Amino acid sequence: MAERKKLLEIKNLKQYFNEGKLNEVKAVDTVSFDIYKGEVMGLVGESGCGKSTTGRTIIRLYDATGGEVIYDGVNVHGKKSKKQLKEFNRKMQMIFQDPYASLNPRLKIADVIAEGIDIHGLAKSKEERMEQVYELLETVGLNKEHATRYPHEFSGGQRQRIGIARALAVQPEFIIADEPISALDVSIQAQVVNLMKKLQKEKDLTYLFIAHDLSMVKYISDRIGVMYFGKMVELAPADELYRNPLHPYTQSLLSAIPAPDPISERSRRRKSYDPASHNYGGNESIEFREVTPGHFVLCSEKEFNQYKAQSNH
Amino acid sequence: MKVEKILQVKDLNISFHTFSGEVKAIRGVSFDLFKGETLAIVGESGSGKSVTTKSIMRLLPEHNSEIKSGEILFNGKDLTKLKDKEMQKIRGHDISMIFQDPMTSLNPTMKIGNQIMEPLIKHQNMSRHAAKERTLDLLKLVGIPKPEIRINQYPHQFSGGMRQRVVIAIALACNPQILIADEPTTALDVTIQAQILELMKDLQKKIDTSIIFITHDLGVVANVADRVAVMYGGKIVEIGTADEIFYNPQHPYTWGLISSMPDMDTDDEELFSIPGTPPDLLDPPKGDAFAARNPFVMKIDLELEPPFFKVSDTHYAATWLLHPDAPKVEPPDAVKRRQNQFNGLTGVSVGTASLEKGSQSQFPGIKEGK
Repeated sequence: MAERKKLLEIKNLKQYFNEGKLNEVKAVDTVSFDIYKGEVMGLVGESGCGKSTTGRTIIRLYDATGGEVIYDGVNVHGKKSKKQLKEFNRKMQMIFQDPYASLNPRLKIADVIAEGIDIHGLAKSKEERMEQVYELLETVGLNKEHATRYPHEFSGGQRQRIGIARALAVQPEFIIADEPISALDVSIQAQVVNLMKKLQKEKDLTYLFIAHDLSMVKYISDRIGVMYFGKMVELAPADELYRNPLHPYTQSLLSAIPAPDPISERSRRRKSYDPASHNYGGNESIEFREVTPGHFVLCSEKEFNQYKAQSNH
Repeated sequence: MKVEKILQVKDLNISFHTFSGEVKAIRGVSFDLFKGETLAIVGESGSGKSVTTKSIMRLLPEHNSEIKSGEILFNGKDLTKLKDKEMQKIRGHDISMIFQDPMTSLNPTMKIGNQIMEPLIKHQNMSRHAAKERTLDLLKLVGIPKPEIRINQYPHQFSGGMRQRVVIAIALACNPQILIADEPTTALDVTIQAQILELMKDLQKKIDTSIIFITHDLGVVANVADRVAVMYGGKIVEIGTADEIFYNPQHPYTWGLISSMPDMDTDDEELFSIPGTPPDLLDPPKGDAFAARNPFVMKIDLELEPPFFKVSDTHYAATWLLHPDAPKVEPPDAVKRRQNQFNGLTGVSVGTASLEKGSQSQFPGIKEGK
């Protein structure tokens, strides 16, 4: 793992809303993790835990309250010229949750997809621009004829393909997918996930995949981070997280996912999580600690030793 | 097996009249609901699951929907023919409904307590005082702490999960014989979803109500359902017990649904996905509606609608693949794994028929049906 290249380093990222006021919300509270080149990093947690805010802050849709996002050695949130920002925007793209709300209803599909191409001047002529649009449409499993239609003429799954084509148009290296399949039907979800996986291999992309559907996240991700109330509580390789969840919140989350399997459902035991159960003393330092290589848990020194003992069996 | 049928839906056909023409949303749906059971209806959006249940509650918009034919029998009465006044007596009293979105299904300007008391006063002629007592009991029953305080609060003071509990309390107020839950947990987080599902199962045991549970989440189905009906293109294409549908599915659409969900064992292999999109019900295809997306399509699928073939006393599927003359096809790996897993676990061999099929031919492809 060590020799892999870090594409993105997130260090002590903070995103507070209504800062300093009574109703201050610490949506993202001192979160740190790295994303390696070519991997799929999954981010899960319940609504309001800050997973989407983390994604949006990384791509600078929000200005961070504190901390650093270092992309390829450069701090994204540092002061930057327009030109630098533009270059950065080309490398990092986003796919949004709602395929109905995220496409401009007044633009033809060709213009939706080519907006990035135009802004970044990636096509020298009109012909070349259309050539690129057709190619993108084909890449995501649509066809040429779709270019002249409007978003309302497409189904949810097709719209999400258009959203993917738009993100790909500027040849990005890193894509943040914020719940890209939550709004789609089961039979269509698999189509979109397969497409994203295929594109990742072909174009050597890196993904941050944000979702609350844990079985899909496990399927697509190499590593998964679990967030709870603005903090990352556990981070581990996907298989390891499911095999050996250490933080009680992760355990509760995993025990709550119903599996499409009536026999195991009949014997399901759900665990509930009570933040008070940690019983932290005032002077204990709660840190993100590495229990086994690559498996991090937010815990106290005492818990850390317990987890370690647990994992060595 | 439970015998008493509490609700019978017979050959229901429903259309919507729109500017672009007649949308045939429900095309010949029939099923029974037994006392005390949970029947899950699964299918993708547009398959007609919500329209079916809304027609049972008579909640379809009157200006553009039409029940073309069919019967919905409840206690010997055909619900499709009742007058509005008579229907009002049944709605919320004998049959009640939980909607998907707890954010919009409560009245934001009314106190929670009054919303729960409403059906009690309307349907059971309770006094305000008695209704309030019962409301406190209901709030306790659905697990809302401090009911004496909560009863005087408004919906915005509740979280999503708590609101759904209130909606459930309203639905259960009159001890209905049938509870229709239309995606009751889709808008909730998994941890809250698990709580609500447990609550519903618990309450069902206590008051012995029958539940129709609509969802597209097969995990939820496995958790709650006794029987499962799979809908596609305005029809039921397969119906059976939960075990039969999950471990011995027969319809290629059910195969697709089950194998397109990754389970914990799915590794790097590509997810099975159903190609294409659902049919346009403005102009439903001739023959089997699933034909265009079916990898095992046969000529007859394009000509004639398949009838229900009987797999067991409780298990029926509408696919020509079950016809004795159909070529033998191999279900996707995920489905075969399930069949084997089930055979191994129980020692009882389910679906020997389809396992025999699997061993004979590796090449489904396009073949002649008859």
